[in-house]
Amino acid sequence: MEEVDKILIHALKQVGTEVGEEVDSVKQFNSELIVEAVVRCIRVIDPGLGSTLPTSLPPGMSARFRVGMSLAQACQDIGYKGEIGYQTFLYSNEPEIRTLLMFLVEKLPRESAEASDQPSGKSVVLQRAIAATIKAQLSVPWLPPNCQLPLHSESQGPTTLHSFHAQPLHLAHCSKGAETKLLKGRPRAGCVVMEYQRHILRPVTAQPSHHVSVAASILEQHTSELSAAQEWDMEWNSQGLLSRLTPQEYHSRKLSRLHKRIEEQLRSAAQPCPESAFGGPRSTSDLLELLQAFRGPTPADHILTKGTHFTHTQKFTFTQVSTSLQEVETISTPLPTGRQLEGDIQLRQQEELSSLQKQFQQLCNDINDITAEIKHRTVTNAQVLDELKQRQVGNSEKEEKVQVKKKAIDLLPEADNNLEKLQALVEASAKRVVNLASQWEKHRAPLIEEHRRLKEICSNKDLESSQKLSEIKSLHDKIRVSTEEAKRKEEMYKQLVTELESLPQDVSRSAYTQRILEIVSNIKKQKEEITKILSDTKELQKEINSLTGKLDRTFAVTDELVFKDAKKDESVRKSYKYLAALHENCNQLIQTIEDTGTILREIRDLEEQIEAENGNKTVANLERILDDYKAIRQENSVLAAKVREG
Amino acid sequence: MELSESVQRGLQSLADPSSFDHSGFSVLVDVSFRSLLSSHSDPGVLDQPELKQIDQILLKQSHAAATTFILEAVKQNADKSTISSCLEELTLSAERIDVFYSAYQKHKKELERLLASIGRRPPVITDVSWRLQYHMKSAQVDKVNEPFYLISLNTEKDGAPEDINFTCTVEQLQDLVGKLKDAAKSMEKASQM
Repeated sequence: MEEVDKILIHALKQVGTEVGEEVDSVKQFNSELIVEAVVRCIRVIDPGLGSTLPTSLPPGMSARFRVGMSLAQACQDIGYKGEIGYQTFLYSNEPEIRTLLMFLVEKLPRESAEASDQPSGKSVVLQRAIAATIKAQLSVPWLPPNCQLPLHSESQGPTTLHSFHAQPLHLAHCSKGAETKLLKGRPRAGCVVMEYQRHILRPVTAQPSHHVSVAASILEQHTSELSAAQEWDMEWNSQGLLSRLTPQEYHSRKLSRLHKRIEEQLRSAAQPCPESAFGGPRSTSDLLELLQAFRGPTPADHILTKGTHFTHTQKFTFTQVSTSLQEVETISTPLPTGRQLEGDIQLRQQEELSSLQKQFQQLCNDINDITAEIKHRTVTNAQVLDELKQRQVGNSEKEEKVQVKKKAIDLLPEADNNLEKLQALVEASAKRVVNLASQWEKHRAPLIEEHRRLKEICSNKDLESSQKLSEIKSLHDKIRVSTEEAKRKEEMYKQLVTELESLPQDVSRSAYTQRILEIVSNIKKQKEEITKILSDTKELQKEINSLTGKLDRTFAVTDELVFKDAKKDESVRKSYKYLAALHENCNQLIQTIEDTGTILREIRDLEEQIEAENGNKTVANLERILDDYKAIRQENSVLAAKVREG
Repeated sequence: MELSESVQRGLQSLADPSSFDHSGFSVLVDVSFRSLLSSHSDPGVLDQPELKQIDQILLKQSHAAATTFILEAVKQNADKSTISSCLEELTLSAERIDVFYSAYQKHKKELERLLASIGRRPPVITDVSWRLQYHMKSAQVDKVNEPFYLISLNTEKDGAPEDINFTCTVEQLQDLVGKLKDAAKSMEKASQM
């Protein structure tokens, strides 16, 4: 029983009942404790029902009685089947209370246990860790900054902080594939890059200009790489796979597409510039140079030829400017030789400056004129070239016509003859055409057939490939899903492990389980014994039955035999009488033994009952009832007196 | 722990006994930790006699990978199981993982401090002084008769002292005290998750 009591007390403590340390069995529970325990249990089981119940007994007797009644009612509402009333709480007896408490504890919801079982996610673990850290930091006593040891500095003291400042890092790449590709594409450049990476590139921790930004830079680099990889993955899964290209092809195609778009944008931005001011051509030419640079790997095409116009003008202006600059220099060099008054020098300089500016302006104008002229000339040139081409085409056409006519004139003198010849020729060629057509038909049919077949195969393959593509896609999805699941499960596992570690190490739990197992084994053993005893009893009963049967039969037979002889012989008659007496006496004896047995059993029952009654503290309870009764009467009389007074 | 491809490659080459022998590995791990924690950048950090025979590009790559891995691990507060499973996936031998983990444990606190030093922090209050003054009258009002507090918070930010001065009425001061108490209470609440 004490084991049960321990479990009960443990459960009650968890519910919130304040069970004293010295109380270790239900026997020691007093009325207050019982009421509190029951109310707490009811509150947990059914908050609506329990909230109206007080956790402690009021001082007034009638109020106590009422509390007892309502408690009993609540217990019955919850579903307690046993006998219950106010007396259960006020005049407790151990077994009743135990059964009631056991019922209530069993009824306690297991929610709290389930709630902790539920996976609460990564964030909860993090929050818990944060909470633990805050707790640890709160538990550290505050020290004035002057008294702080370096040990505390991370939690309290102001350490010097640096803002998150990341710088791009250059990583050495030495994957074999990239290397060979580099070497294949531009052997010189590859070598140079390798040399640079081998000898000049600093290790990543030495690259940032400030050492404090090392960590930030490295983290930033890694995160950007990760996100780029993720983005590529996403894109590849959503679009790349459908395009049915290899990753490299997809890459290059996207690259060229982007190039084209940028180029278009830049070109559209560069268009209006030539008409604008003097600075126009130069900026557009810069842009066009940029465009050319963009083209980079791809061979030069029409855009370059289009750009030449500007580049030419640019070259032209540059040469002009440089020559004029040379002029300026040649003019300005003699200046310092003639050392005169400063004002003079300034004046002269100004004059010269203005003249030079004028010259410059003129040159600029000239350049503009010349560029316009060049434009004009190129346009006219193109026009002339076009015209020339057209003329040439017309010429050749006319020549052909002339030749045909010449032939016809040649044929005229022998018209009939030639006509026949021509007809024969026409017929022959018509025949040949028919012949050729039939041949063509012959060839065509199988070719068309083959074409159809190939087409079919092609469509089949298309279908297959699209099927495979969808399969691949679904596989990708599956892979992703399962990796996610695996990750989630791993996290959950980790979290559960941490939770398990953080859980209070309930020693009693394992003890209980062990105990329960022991009890179960004990019960098994007892059951076996009981069955053994039962079978023994059964056997005994059988034996007894058979023995009585045998006895009866033997007696009947003996009785008959002796009775037969008894008529003849006196002594036998006597013996018959004895026999009858013996039988009767024996029967009586058996009866008595049986009676004794039943009486013994009854005695045992009665003793048990007496013990139970003794356990119920009947006398004490009766006394208490009497006291309470007196108290109630007193209360009543007081109330009556008050009423009377009132 | 997610690692980018370059980091994975670098760590894999670090796992390869043909490119890094045992002493080379431990020296590189040591160097990686040291290069992160040293107060000044040292371009010659990889010039160790044990690392001389290794290809410099490979060495730089592995060094970058190792430093990245270390920082990521500290950032995520990785425990032993995470680190070892992560490194096992990259085919590092158990012995090398042990070498790495012991170095990691040795330097973890410092690295945490290093990462914690990135960021901003409001100034820290080191001392408070106050004065109760009485406002009697002003140019506009003849009778004001109101006490008010002159409060000076001595704060420190990045080691530089900085004072915050303000005046407040009794109610405002009570409000401030209430807010502070609230803050303390919510801290406590946050610690009891």
